[in-house]
Amino acid sequence: MTTMMKATIATTILAVLTVATSVSAQHGGTDAPSLTGTWNMGLQGGHVVPVALVLKQNGDILTGTISMPTQRVGQPVDVSLKGDISHGTLTLTGTVESAKEPTTIGITGRLNDEGIIEGTLAMQGHDMPYTAERLKERK
Amino acid sequence: MKPLARRSVLRGLGATVALPFLEAMVPARRASGAVAPSNRTRLVCVEMVHGSAGSSAIGIKKNLWAPAAVGRDFDLSPTSLRSLEPFRDHLTIVSNTDVDPANPFTATEIGGDHFRSSAVFLTQSHPKQTQGGDVQAGISLDQLYAQRFGQDTAIPSMQLCVESVDQAGGCGYGYSCVYTDAISWAAPNRPLPMTRDPRVVFDELFGVLRSGTTTAERAERLAEDRSILDWLISSAARLAGTLGPADRSRLADYLEHVREIERRIQIVEAGNRSGEVRDLPSEPIGVPDSFSEHVKLMFDLQVLAFASDITRVFAFKLGRDTSNRSYPESGFAGAFHNTSHHSGREDRILDFATINTFHVGLIPYFLEKLKNTPDADGSLLDQTLLVYGSPMGDSNLHNHKRVPFFLAGRAGGALKGGRHLRAPNGTPLANVMLSVLRRLGLEHLERFGDSDGAFDLNAV
Repeated sequence: MTTMMKATIATTILAVLTVATSVSAQHGGTDAPSLTGTWNMGLQGGHVVPVALVLKQNGDILTGTISMPTQRVGQPVDVSLKGDISHGTLTLTGTVESAKEPTTIGITGRLNDEGIIEGTLAMQGHDMPYTAERLKERK
Repeated sequence: MKPLARRSVLRGLGATVALPFLEAMVPARRASGAVAPSNRTRLVCVEMVHGSAGSSAIGIKKNLWAPAAVGRDFDLSPTSLRSLEPFRDHLTIVSNTDVDPANPFTATEIGGDHFRSSAVFLTQSHPKQTQGGDVQAGISLDQLYAQRFGQDTAIPSMQLCVESVDQAGGCGYGYSCVYTDAISWAAPNRPLPMTRDPRVVFDELFGVLRSGTTTAERAERLAEDRSILDWLISSAARLAGTLGPADRSRLADYLEHVREIERRIQIVEAGNRSGEVRDLPSEPIGVPDSFSEHVKLMFDLQVLAFASDITRVFAFKLGRDTSNRSYPESGFAGAFHNTSHHSGREDRILDFATINTFHVGLIPYFLEKLKNTPDADGSLLDQTLLVYGSPMGDSNLHNHKRVPFFLAGRAGGALKGGRHLRAPNGTPLANVMLSVLRRLGLEHLERFGDSDGAFDLNAV
């Protein structure tokens, strides 16, 4: 095999890999970092409230829970979430069942280059920005 | 002439008053300094909650806690520590350290920062998330010291507080209230209760609670506004007759100081019993409504205890997490917890700094008293180490980075003082505490909490 042939094959493989990676990332597929795990979400209300966001990613499908703070200090409620990731943007929704009237939560966000999810949590007509860092779980 | 024993006391029916250091306690052939200073250091660990304004991004730029310059030529004037300027030579500021064990380790711990932080401050250990009796943290700094050097005093250590800390059960995020209320841990599973009422502290220091008197007898004394010194008149007179003029004067000053503090407690009790509307109506009769008056009384009791060597170790909790107490004396009347959540706004950060400054501003009162109290090798200030800090950094973010911390006093020469030391990023506060303990005489301690090394407290 000539040097030129080797270079052509290498270029072709590289091109195929590049396309595959691009498609995979657009669909939140296997090459993109999985969002599965526990995230320490800093929810920016009047101040930054730490909130636990636990996600499980299966392909493009996301499920999980968020521990939402309540009026009773120190007693959050767990809210189940469902959603997906598409073109790098995650979308999740859930309903706070224990509220007087069921309240819908909507979460959108993107994973940035530093591995932090940045986005917005919408609830009762308010959009609250957040950043979420992956929790290094320790015993 | 045979020297007076250091443990001599004035004893009367219903009270036992330990004596201050007297020349008569020094053997004639030995000069002043006969009592080895290495194990005589008095230790006071003061915790304040909610971090500091100077731990926020704006606060760091504006030097609201840590001075701009490291080394010896630091300027305290922009900082919340400015009231300590008269004591700068006794001051060791350590900035830029983190308290990682106060961070969440698991999903269910996220959000529980306020409910576990106080247990971390002096243990630098991560508390077990539980609301049951199986609480677990670590042995605290004050207790490691007390277990080594506090055993030959009448009381090995005492734990004081200013805010209400008598809540039972669970406090939030699955944490027992004991994590919020206790900063002293005698063992990883044994938090020590804290005393809030100055009357209880006074009676404990002067043996009233251990003297065999009945509750009725104590109540009678309180009702009659009598002094414990009334029970000791003949004992004090007998001792004074055996002392030289300098010691007689020192004994008289000391007993007058005891009486003055007792009188202030009695005034508080009388005011709170009078039926006048209180700012803190649900608090015990002996607890002053004024924060600064309460703190100063507690400091005065600590000085008395040190002067008479009843105990050498205090842990003192100045606040309680999520408390919305206000401090109008600071010049700002906003609620503490709410103000600590400053939203990153500069005006609100400055309000929070006003509260921090007020809290630190109570420390010079204590240091001045120590400075003016003679001890074997000079003043009590020379023989004392005060540890002041918070396990939280920027309370607006509920983080535990760049926490406020300083040391005051020279600990019998163990610390040079007059320094601002900035730790490399990511340095555990536990490294500083490990070095404090080693300087205090626990040289062989290998680790403390999450320490990963020592920290030179006398650098520069």
